[in-house]
Amino acid sequence: MAKTVLIVEDNELNMKLFHDLLEAHGYDTIGTRNGVEALDLARKHHPDLILMDIQLPEVSGLEVTKWLKDDQDLKAIPVVAVTAFAMKGDEERIREGGCEAYLSKPISVGKFIETIRHFLGNA
Amino acid sequence: MAARHRAFIAPRLLGSFAAFAAIPVYLAARGVPNALEVLVFAWLVAPILIAYFISRTGRYERAHTLSSLALTGLVTVVAAQTGGIGSFAAIWLVVVPLEASLSASRRVVALASTFALAAAGLLLLLDAINLVPASATASDDLAALAALSIISAALYATGLALGAESLARTSIWLFYEEEDRYRLLARNMTDVITRHGRHGAVLFVSPAAEPLFGVTVRSLLGHGLFERVHVADRPAYLKALSDAAASGDAQSAEFRVKRDLAADRLHVADPFIIWIEMRCRPLDHAVRSRNGQETQEVVAVMRDVTGRKSQEQALEDARAESERANAAKDRFLANMSHELRTPLNVIIGFSEMLTKEGPMMLNAQRRQSYAQLINESGHHLLSVVNGILDMSKIDNGNFEIMPEPFAADRVVATCCDLMTLKAAETGIELALRIAPDVPEIVADKRAFNQILLNLLSNAIKFTDRGGRVTVSALRDDAMIAVAVADTGVGIGTDDLPRLGDPFFQAGASYDRRHDGTGLGLSIVKGLVDLHSGTLEIRSRLGAGTTVTVRLPIDCERVRPRSPVVAAAPKGVVEALAPKRIDPPVRKIA
Repeated sequence: MAKTVLIVEDNELNMKLFHDLLEAHGYDTIGTRNGVEALDLARKHHPDLILMDIQLPEVSGLEVTKWLKDDQDLKAIPVVAVTAFAMKGDEERIREGGCEAYLSKPISVGKFIETIRHFLGNA
Repeated sequence: MAARHRAFIAPRLLGSFAAFAAIPVYLAARGVPNALEVLVFAWLVAPILIAYFISRTGRYERAHTLSSLALTGLVTVVAAQTGGIGSFAAIWLVVVPLEASLSASRRVVALASTFALAAAGLLLLLDAINLVPASATASDDLAALAALSIISAALYATGLALGAESLARTSIWLFYEEEDRYRLLARNMTDVITRHGRHGAVLFVSPAAEPLFGVTVRSLLGHGLFERVHVADRPAYLKALSDAAASGDAQSAEFRVKRDLAADRLHVADPFIIWIEMRCRPLDHAVRSRNGQETQEVVAVMRDVTGRKSQEQALEDARAESERANAAKDRFLANMSHELRTPLNVIIGFSEMLTKEGPMMLNAQRRQSYAQLINESGHHLLSVVNGILDMSKIDNGNFEIMPEPFAADRVVATCCDLMTLKAAETGIELALRIAPDVPEIVADKRAFNQILLNLLSNAIKFTDRGGRVTVSALRDDAMIAVAVADTGVGIGTDDLPRLGDPFFQAGASYDRRHDGTGLGLSIVKGLVDLHSGTLEIRSRLGAGTTVTVRLPIDCERVRPRSPVVAAAPKGVVEALAPKRIDPPVRKIA
């Protein structure tokens, strides 16, 4: 059975990019643009990996990550942060927030897939 | 002290030297001296020795006592040899306590009197038991000697009296000098000195308090000063005083004190607050009150540090302001980075997929759609970059507007036409209402266009399908008012003040479902400002938004400087460009 990735991303075009990339590499995806919904989806589908945009409407990706890591059932799911805020100190802040990996936009497709494979193995 | 020593030494040395000087005369007149006379002359050396003693040891009372003792001894010996108590020399015993009185010491005077009385008693005793040798001196000589003795004693006593008077004058003069010095300090010192008793009660205040606090010294006594201290600073004030009393160490505190402007008594006293720095330390010894309680009194020096405090405050404000500016800059950069990276991610991501189309197994339809997405994102990126450039030009005063006369109604209509298609795509009705009296205006045509397009695209972006956007233009006195009203999502009260900040999109924290850079309105704000116009936003969450721009009909008449600087070199342009005033944005929720 294909591994499932939950994509949390508020920009429509970026969502499509991540979706198409993961799909082309044989992963199943679920998507949401909303952090609160991400938690519900994670509980419902228990994905193998969560791709988390940090700048989200309503609640930030960091906050959602904290909820995930506080949840005994969900905390084992690796969270890969993707953010367009590539300012000094962002990576430290994001890693401290409990994310297992950090990718900054614009992504390199090679590195993106490599990071996903690192956590999920080949689809 | 030194004056007293001088007053002691001088007459003694003088007396001794006078006696020595008299020796040759005496010898010439009397021939070879007898044993008594040798003794007398030897005794005259004693004052010199005593003067030496005081100059070395400084023991004033001891020296006086020795001097009295020496004089008593001399007079007793001479009197015993020349007829006992009835001798011409006995009168000199009176001089002994007189001389001692110069010491101003009761003890010395008592001792000297005792010496003199003892000597007189001894002479009387010798007389009574007939131990006094018969005087060898002839009786007419005796009369002469008696006269000489009385005269010399009287003269010496006069000398002593004069000495005493001069000593008293010296002391008074010294006292006045001391007092003058104190007055000099008290009158010219702007620091206030206070003495505090139990619970910080003020027992003494120096006169400098009057100009400093604007009230009388009397009104500060007791708890008068405490009551003038700012309520919030009272604990610090009392703590410094009680710590100084308890620990014995110097303490300091800074506090605010209410000051009365008593100088102008015609007006009601105008109190204001001054900052006081107080340094206090305990007095050397505790004071025991009548009921036996010991109180450690504290002396404090207070100084007005209002000037320094206000400088510190100004510095602190400047620091906070620069921190705010820095934070705003950081936020701006982070936002700019975000706005550039988001479309770049799409462009780079999809183009990279296209280059690996083999392994990705992309069909022609996908390739086509990816190219389309890349193109869209590229255009979006371009608009972001243009917006940033415009914004930064407006912000640092390099954005030059070139006013020219044009028909405003036609430009408004053209802009509406441009946006009609986009409005129709999203199911929004676009209505145009231009009043017939809209005049030709003098403004920067490109800027006017951009203002309208930005407002229109905002209105369309934030209005849901089925909504309506109305553009109206009318003449408002010497201004032209262009309003863009929509029936869209509206703006929350909290967000209104931040509208127009670069990259700020209202409601972003609820649901950022609208793309856009957040630069549109801040550019409008800047351009309106360059035309000396006003921007007014009326909105309620969920009830639509109306943005009204008012521009002067002839902006060249209103603007502080004509824009001929466009041709000048860049540096000059920057220097000449009118300083940007905060845009007069009126926001009505």
